[in-house]
Amino acid sequence: MEYKVEAHRIMSISLGKIYNSRVQRGGIKLHKNLLVSLVLRSARQVYLSDYYSGACLNAQSEREGNEWDITDSEREKFPPSATECDRVESTEEPQPNEQPEKEREYRENDDEVKSDQVDCTSTLQEQNQNSSLDSVAKVSSETPPESITEPKESPSDSAVAERDSTPEANGESHQPPKPHVCSNRKRSAEESESGDSPQKRTKVASSNAKEDEEAEEMDTSNVSNLITIFGSSFSGLLSKESAKPEAEAEDSGQICCDQMLKNLNPWSTAIVAF
Amino acid sequence: VQGPRGGVGGGNDFQWCFSQVKGAIDEDVAEADIISTVEFNCSGELLATGDKGGRVVIFQREQESKNRLLSRGEYNVYSTFQSHEPEFDYLKSLEIEEKINKIRWLPQQNAAHFLLSANDKTIKLWKISERDKRAEGYNLKDEDGRLRDQFRITTLRVPVLMPMDLMVEASPRRIFANAHTYHINSISVNSDYETYLSADDLRINLWHLEITDRSFNIVDIKPANMEELTEVITAAECHPHQCNVFVYSSSKGTIRLCDMRAAALCDRHSKFFEEPEDPSSRSFFSEIISSISDVKFSHSGRYMMTRDYLSVKVWDLNMENRPVETYQVHEYLRSKLCSLYENDCIFDKFECCWNGSDSAIMTGSYNNFFRMFDRNTRRDITLEASRENSKPRAMLKPRKVCTGGKRKKDEISVDSLDFNKKILHTAWHPKENVIAVAATNNLYIFQDKIN
Repeated sequence: MEYKVEAHRIMSISLGKIYNSRVQRGGIKLHKNLLVSLVLRSARQVYLSDYYSGACLNAQSEREGNEWDITDSEREKFPPSATECDRVESTEEPQPNEQPEKEREYRENDDEVKSDQVDCTSTLQEQNQNSSLDSVAKVSSETPPESITEPKESPSDSAVAERDSTPEANGESHQPPKPHVCSNRKRSAEESESGDSPQKRTKVASSNAKEDEEAEEMDTSNVSNLITIFGSSFSGLLSKESAKPEAEAEDSGQICCDQMLKNLNPWSTAIVAF
Repeated sequence: VQGPRGGVGGGNDFQWCFSQVKGAIDEDVAEADIISTVEFNCSGELLATGDKGGRVVIFQREQESKNRLLSRGEYNVYSTFQSHEPEFDYLKSLEIEEKINKIRWLPQQNAAHFLLSANDKTIKLWKISERDKRAEGYNLKDEDGRLRDQFRITTLRVPVLMPMDLMVEASPRRIFANAHTYHINSISVNSDYETYLSADDLRINLWHLEITDRSFNIVDIKPANMEELTEVITAAECHPHQCNVFVYSSSKGTIRLCDMRAAALCDRHSKFFEEPEDPSSRSFFSEIISSISDVKFSHSGRYMMTRDYLSVKVWDLNMENRPVETYQVHEYLRSKLCSLYENDCIFDKFECCWNGSDSAIMTGSYNNFFRMFDRNTRRDITLEASRENSKPRAMLKPRKVCTGGKRKKDEISVDSLDFNKKILHTAWHPKENVIAVAATNNLYIFQDKIN
């Protein structure tokens, strides 16, 4: 799923920029970091939105409907009770998808549809005028031509998909998700997995991934943990201080993560210290 | 669409010709030499540049020579001085860059010239004056300055003023410091010639030119909880005629016009300018590219111009809901926003400027291209500042970027553009068709060719 890969990449890049800004000459540039945090938030929304696309629990989406609206995303603080669930879900979500993502990337050049999630996405795009998914389409326009056409081709390619799940039915069985779908943090991880047959493949992968949680790829787990940290405007930094990365790594993402956690959210303290 | 001879400006077809280029030719550009601001003074006789090294260089235009009717006077170095030095804030463990963010000239009131220069934290008022006479015949010291033996002095004499080689001195007359917690992005001299404003990310202060130990805070958008921060101030300017009016732009693409008569703290705007977002063009980077990097009033005071990443917009002060004119600077970059985000180019802050009659506007782009738009004919032109086109009085050839399909001869494809060669700062002579274009560490001066 190209847009998810793209969203993940943009999140990594954004986090790198925020980290680098701390060592730049002249001090932290408030304007630039604000813009980077906005991009990070948009990318996070898109990245996480997929997990809720299938098993859209309408009750919860109605309850928390307005919290994660794109235009209001900066204003709302996530309720503390959601913190734990968010952390749980976020740490699990990127991992199950990681292997399927990789496989999808390898097969992208074959122009095959990788998963029903793509179908879901295309269905969503058709049903939903939502800007976050439009932004996804825009983002994917910057990737190689094959990936641009894939979301559109997926409904027709579903017939040649290797898996025997029925994407169309799945896509249609769920109501069109709204932009705030990704704010349904209170749903348990199990619920999100079981209620979504397009994620069959990921469920299979996730059982392995859960075992491999400890030996997770550095990038993804670090980024996902940092995603939780940036969960809610800058307040995310204050509320998620107990979230720790599972694995140790040498790359800057890990250094960034460690620094942030050890220093009790230097980013927000740096801003406050201004 | 370009005119037959590629001219833009006024009612006639102007032809832009190379006039001069200042700066080192070296491929290796020293960071300190990168020009960070360019500004003509009110008469156009002086042209000031500031650079990342904290220096100010002022060029003065030669008097027109009767022998060379075809070209106007050239600009030569008039004064060079170190305006700001790097500083260190020990409390916050932060280094303060010496880079000059803005220079603004004061209107000339006597023989001396005054300008304001600002780095991230401090504004300085500089006096630039000429000295072409020297007093000779002091009683207490020799001609070379040594004190004379007092017992040797038997007579008194009156020192006389003798001519000397012209010396241009720059001296700091006022230092306006410690008023900005965040980085200063704008300064603007008020039309009352007594006050000026300075703006940082979250606050705008009003100063009196004579008073350095205090200023009025007139805008404060800092939220009580910094975690709720959603927008910052990106530029501010005083109205050219109404000394009670100023505008400031935001990172959200909005402009607020404030009237200082309404309240001491102008947090509530008098007018709010915003164009509704086009939902079909939304992307990850919509917010970044809508951030306004510069705002400039027209000389008439009736319009203002804003620059965001991809376009320039002209607003009528009487209409708040949308601009009256929109010009695309480099729309072909819209599909490249992700790459431009990665290499940080998307954060480049381009400036824009009006010509003296407000009939044309100019702004910079990448690959050392800069763009001009004629508001009357709606023609636009892309020109390039390069050493290759730097023969004296050589006419500039219009450039074109190929956006897709077959590339014609002389066109440049988007992927070949050099994004390290960016023109962020341009200035237009207040009265004539002379422009100054800063290309990294070089300053190009172009003039319109008189037929």
